[in-house]
Amino acid sequence: MPFDTGRPEMTAEEFRLLRDFVYAYCGILVRDDMKYVMERRLWPRLEALGLTDFSTYYRYLRFDAQRRSELETAVEALTTHETYFFREPRQLKAFSEEVLPVLERRNARTRRLRIWSAGCSSGEEAYTVAMLLLESGRFEGWDLEVYGTDISRRVLSVARLGEYGPSALRSTSPDKLARYFVHVGPNRVRVRDDIRAMVSFGHHNLRDVDTVPLTSRVDAVFCRNVLIYFDAPARQRVLRLLYDKLVPGGYLMLGHSENLINLSADFELVHLRGDLVYRRPELGGGGGT
Amino acid sequence: MSEEGRNAEEVRYRALLDLDVSRPEAREELVTGLHDESWRVRRAAADGLVRLPERGAVVERLIAVLGERDETGARNAAAEALSGMGASAVHPLVHLLGHADPDQRKFAADILGQLALPEAEGALVAVLLEDGDLNVRVAAAEALGRVGGRGAAFALERVLSNPEPLLRLSALESLAALRHPPPLAEVVPLLNNPLLKRSAYRVLGLIERPEVVALVCRGLAASESRSTREAALVALGQHSARMADGGRPAMYAAVGEALRRLLGAVSWVASALESGDIEVKTGALVAAAALREPRLAPLVAEVAQEERLVPEVMRTLACFGPETGRELLASMDRLSLPAREAAGQVLVDMVDPSFVPELVQMLDWGEVDLKGVAARALGRTGALDAVEPLAGFLSIPELAGVAARALVALSAGFRAQVLQALQTSLERGAEPVVLNALVRVGGTSQLPLVRRIAREASVPLRATAVEVLAAVDPSGGLELARVALVDEAPRVRAAAVRVLGQVGDVSLAPLLQRALADDALEVRLAALEAVGECGAVALAADLEALVRHPDGAIAFRAVRSLARLGVLRDEVIQQAVGHEDHEVVKAALLAGAASGGGEALALGLLDHAHWDVRAAAARVLADSREERLLPPLLNALLSETDALARRALVDAVERLSGR
Ligand SMILES: C[S@@+](CC[C@H](N)C(=O)[O-])C[C@H]1O[C@@H](n2cnc3c(N)ncnc32)[C@H](O)[C@@H]1O
Repeated sequence: MPFDTGRPEMTAEEFRLLRDFVYAYCGILVRDDMKYVMERRLWPRLEALGLTDFSTYYRYLRFDAQRRSELETAVEALTTHETYFFREPRQLKAFSEEVLPVLERRNARTRRLRIWSAGCSSGEEAYTVAMLLLESGRFEGWDLEVYGTDISRRVLSVARLGEYGPSALRSTSPDKLARYFVHVGPNRVRVRDDIRAMVSFGHHNLRDVDTVPLTSRVDAVFCRNVLIYFDAPARQRVLRLLYDKLVPGGYLMLGHSENLINLSADFELVHLRGDLVYRRPELGGGGGT
Repeated sequence: MSEEGRNAEEVRYRALLDLDVSRPEAREELVTGLHDESWRVRRAAADGLVRLPERGAVVERLIAVLGERDETGARNAAAEALSGMGASAVHPLVHLLGHADPDQRKFAADILGQLALPEAEGALVAVLLEDGDLNVRVAAAEALGRVGGRGAAFALERVLSNPEPLLRLSALESLAALRHPPPLAEVVPLLNNPLLKRSAYRVLGLIERPEVVALVCRGLAASESRSTREAALVALGQHSARMADGGRPAMYAAVGEALRRLLGAVSWVASALESGDIEVKTGALVAAAALREPRLAPLVAEVAQEERLVPEVMRTLACFGPETGRELLASMDRLSLPAREAAGQVLVDMVDPSFVPELVQMLDWGEVDLKGVAARALGRTGALDAVEPLAGFLSIPELAGVAARALVALSAGFRAQVLQALQTSLERGAEPVVLNALVRVGGTSQLPLVRRIAREASVPLRATAVEVLAAVDPSGGLELARVALVDEAPRVRAAAVRVLGQVGDVSLAPLLQRALADDALEVRLAALEAVGECGAVALAADLEALVRHPDGAIAFRAVRSLARLGVLRDEVIQQAVGHEDHEVVKAALLAGAASGGGEALALGLLDHAHWDVRAAAARVLADSREERLLPPLLNALLSETDALARRALVDAVERLSGR
């Protein structure tokens, strides 16, 4: 078996075959102008498998006995897992100050709250939400659960470990750092245990409508900076799934550059004082849990 | 909205979504929906109208709604629906361009722009040049930027001399969108016009003339206005994107000189690198490459968050010197992930032996991806003190591969030390890549160790040992493979089967036959390949049966092995061509072509459902060099809509017609 190889170029046809295959698997659309990115991200896979060109790699993905796990690895390489704690503070502030009070009132009887971070990457978003719940002081003694799911198993293992470096903390204030993390090395911190206990992680491809690992509906979904990788039909499918998984009146938080214009009118736009968020309307689609 | 109001809205919304569009009343119900107070309901109505069968009547009705002066919401929703109607809306809208009310004409022009169909070009050009209302002409100019065409570009150019600035602006923008710059002499005067200069610089960036760089530099050095400088940056970015590498040094020199005349250039470029406007960012990269200021390097790397700019980011970083390498290294753990990825790659190319201490430090505290960068970079330092830290990573599965490769690179200078490190790691039960590296560096001298590992180690290591041994000692490898064929782990059996294929011969057919029926798919797949490789013709019948297998992986390999054995019968090819999996079809086509029967097959596949099969068929026909195949190829070209298949067809036509 060859050990390392030169860097082969990807032909237009190889690009199309790989792109279409990845798209069918997870709905991620690698745009035409991103051939270079795909080439560069998949080189290391060719190298690791001792393959010399992208056609062979494509057939490996299609036909090898290890195809399933290699496909996951390829998708992992192709997706951007960029994330950090307290990303998009404006939205988080609106969530804490305006959405959480509503949820507190709505669920006062059950004293239960469920929040889903869909496409959670290495967990920063899910932990951030847990920290916000705690910080709000509204839910003492409640049954709180934050779920983080992602298609990439590698990021999930980082998420479970809950240890991070400076890059993940670049938007975290010193007081939050002191309150919610413990130092485990000169440049590394770990999320406090009681916060980690609020969050559970699982593997899920947002394309798979039938295998969502959530047993009950959730009160809010954070799906930020995930839909950007999908084309319109895939986005619509994912939005449908999120809609189904939200309780009526539940909130959908998208990334700040994302919106539902021309994608879905299922959700209504809610003008909060600090930000715009989406909400599943109260009626239609049966009652919640 | 009150709770009650929201519920009522939801009911109306759902009702429209669930509407049966085949009912005759559906159209008017949807039109009523266009007038709803809620945007969601209006959206649902517009979507519903687009789905109605009688397009002509719907278009007429929607155009009537456009005329309802006081119904802003309904008109906008109707416009939205019309832009979803495709070609059937063009003619009525062109007709509307002649309406007495300018407001209606403007709507028509806007929607035609949305439709972006070439059929509207002529009518829009006429409106652009002749309409009496400025707003309508502006709308036509904007629409032409999307519709395109030669007439459009020509008319837009004519309008550039119009005294009305708004019209000139939209014409200029549209010419930029069409990537059809006017002559340089016409653009130059516009560069000083406050309203037009931003667009003027945009089109300047599209002009392929050497003078452009000097003009851009003038704009960059313009100290009076930030917006002029930004516009110049945009042009710079566009110009550079088209430039061959050979021209860059001169461009960088000129830009650098212009920027150095500007007070606070470095911080200005820094903020441009962080701009939200991707075109400004692109230009800022060029400016940064010209300045080569190490402090800018981390910001340059951050531009990699915009994925399509990654190549430009790498090119820019590569312009900076080794000092920048240190700057990047120091900021690595604060960079975003995409920035790290880009910086890491460039860094690896920049390092020299003096970087070892910093890289070793990074190995200690970094996250996995950073450690990977450090490991690769250490491999390129060519320094002895890089060996030991790398050896430490051979036992970490995520890093063993990179570390092993880095050590192989270092072995050019320090073979003994590298061998020692690899051996020690293997003694402690390392990853298969380490074994591979060892044999690569040490060759046959390592055979005793490989043999021992093949008997005792973990499954992955055992499997690798079987293959590695065969690579350096074929007869020993074959012997070991026979034993490994009965290993309890499928992975080891599969490795053994691969070795049989690579170094074995026909006498192994009975062993391979058993492997073809193995419980594990992994072993069966390897056996399918091996049969072809070692020439076990006796197994042809077994393979033929598998060509029909629904799993493409099995059928594909069966076809390829039969072809390799030279016993692929026409009948079997026909079966394979009908397989659901397009890769199987292509494999059969190529096998058929290699054995001389390709043309008939390829002709039959020119209308296959999959574009890549059609493209492959075109290539087979092109290779035949038979001119008589031109008519069917031309025929296929007429109806081909896929870009890549078209390209293959065009190539084939050109080759066969001797062009
Ligand atoms: C850029 S990250 C965003 C992380 C986080 N939500 C944030 O905004 O900081 C996008 C994540 O979406 C995940 N993702 C992409 N496609 C997915 C799919 N089909 N199903 C689930 N997750 C997916 C990626 O693995 C990646 O971790």
